Amino acid sequence: MEAIQTGFKSFDELTGGLEYRKVYSLFGDKESGKEQFLYKLVQSALSAKIAIVYTLTSKSYSELISEFNSRGININPYLGNSFKILDDFSRTNSPSATNNSYAKILNGPLDLTGLSVSLSTVNGDFIKDAKPVINIFDNLSNLLMYNNPVTVYRFLQFICGKAKLAGVTTLFSVDTVMHTPDVIETIKNLSDAIIDLKLDNGKRYFKISGISKEVLQFKELE
Amino acid sequence: MAEYKGLDGNEEDIDPYFGIAKLDEQLKGIPEKKIVLISASPSVGNEVFGYQIIHKNITSGVKVLVFLNRTSPQSYLTDMKDYDFPANDNLFILDAYSGITGIKSDETDHIKVINNPYDIEEVKSKVIGALGNGYGLIVIDSFSLLADFFNFPFVLSFIDEIKNAVVSHNSAAVLLFTDWGYEKENVDKLLSKVNSTIEVKGIEKRVIFGQYFAVLKCDWVKEANALSSVLFKAIKPGGIKVYFPKILVTGPTDAGKSSFIHSASKDAVSVDKLGGTIALDHGSVDFKGYRADLFGTPGQERFDPLLKMLGEEAIGVFLIVDSTKPEQFPRAVEMLRKTETYGLPVVVIANKADLKGALKGEEIRERLHLDSAITLIQTVAENLSTVDPNQPTKLKSEGINEALSALFKQLT
Repeated sequence: MEAIQTGFKSFDELTGGLEYRKVYSLFGDKESGKEQFLYKLVQSALSAKIAIVYTLTSKSYSELISEFNSRGININPYLGNSFKILDDFSRTNSPSATNNSYAKILNGPLDLTGLSVSLSTVNGDFIKDAKPVINIFDNLSNLLMYNNPVTVYRFLQFICGKAKLAGVTTLFSVDTVMHTPDVIETIKNLSDAIIDLKLDNGKRYFKISGISKEVLQFKELE
Repeated sequence: MAEYKGLDGNEEDIDPYFGIAKLDEQLKGIPEKKIVLISASPSVGNEVFGYQIIHKNITSGVKVLVFLNRTSPQSYLTDMKDYDFPANDNLFILDAYSGITGIKSDETDHIKVINNPYDIEEVKSKVIGALGNGYGLIVIDSFSLLADFFNFPFVLSFIDEIKNAVVSHNSAAVLLFTDWGYEKENVDKLLSKVNSTIEVKGIEKRVIFGQYFAVLKCDWVKEANALSSVLFKAIKPGGIKVYFPKILVTGPTDAGKSSFIHSASKDAVSVDKLGGTIALDHGSVDFKGYRADLFGTPGQERFDPLLKMLGEEAIGVFLIVDSTKPEQFPRAVEMLRKTETYGLPVVVIANKADLKGALKGEEIRERLHLDSAITLIQTVAENLSTVDPNQPTKLKSEGINEALSALFKQLT
């Protein structure tokens, strides 16, 4: 199977894209362009007939959809078909929010069991449909804020293990400045590959380690 | 006093009950002073067990307290309602969640708040203090989250305190626990402190293709080790149903197989032509906490090559015969043989028992050479004047229910 193209020409040419069955973590500070990276990846993967489970921890599903729309990404045809959202945020503001055909409303950052059960259900549905799958976590930082880090590691270890067994690719987005170095180090240990993003002089750059085609010096992301 | 009516329709006055088929039949509810741990794999979860136990008890007049640290009371009640388990005045919640998110919920008569869920002393004193208020049952959702928040030494000593309180107030406790792969030594200690452990797991390879629960331990039932694993489905609405994946419905042409499947299930489909089933019928049955998938066979001999395939993996059989057509009885027995289900648990349904020329039950038994251990149930159609010629005739529910009870009892 070919690797997953991110939609960024320089990234795809230098690295070959994201490999199946691998766990990636995406590090960067607020302005580094993590969301831009994720949204473009979503667009590119969906058009390549890859299914996506998008877990949200700091915005609601309707905010996510309007962000796609405002960037000119037409997500609507994929909603509920190959794009499903696990919304772990909406109930913080509206506790009675319930599921629809494309968004599962979860119970918030403490209910990691609920998140794990939903992930395994939605992954199972996609796999039975013979679709390749990416699990995207936007983002891990919020889960880490509310839970004891050890609890989150146990959770990550469990779901990454399941994902590998099922042939699913996993990508966590992590806000670098929100965590202590030891937390960052542990997340890196759980990942097969690390992508770093940064903004410098109005341009965005990336590097990646842990895969066969590493890019160890920052290259422009375009 | 809670009442549980099992497949036998027996009522027994022990409370609280699980409200979950098979568990109640085998464990006879949760006696006073006992602590039950429901330990789930993280990819299956156990929250629906909690909702169902709570609902069964609050609707039976048992006052239930939920210690909730997994989500907000509003979200919890919304989810319960989604499974068709609405709250009532017997449900009380101790909210140990809102204090974490900073969005304070208002105290009501039924919702009390733990201001600082990170404060071990407040958590302890509020839970133990509340147990003196006449609750028949306390449910902790989630106990593993308490272990995550604090540590195992704390939760192990907390169990002892809960146990003392439960014993002195004649209450009972259910602890919902997700096993994230904690240290075995800690989990073993936890298991040794509870009276019963029910394990909830998935059968999985790349995907989960089945879920089961199993009683690992229960100190108030003799031969608890003999309890087997039980497949289940969590159905929304409806909750936990013990699940039989395949039950075959077979019998000669026009005996009433499609009628039986359509009368027993809500969502039956037939692949048919001019009223006769030429491929198969399928329907899902919900009955007294059980869920079964029924697969019907065609009756005509020209489809016999399909029968073996249709019978594969079936775990029980309904054999339908037309009471007015004894000449078809040898064919009925032949169909058991051709579906290779001879010897499986079987219930014989003698349909059209009210029509002119119908044989009596005893005569049918004799002609079919039925062993006395095999159950024979007579069924009749609903009012024939209202029959839609394009739909299978509906059978009266008494016979259907009797037949389902009889087979499910053999299967559990």
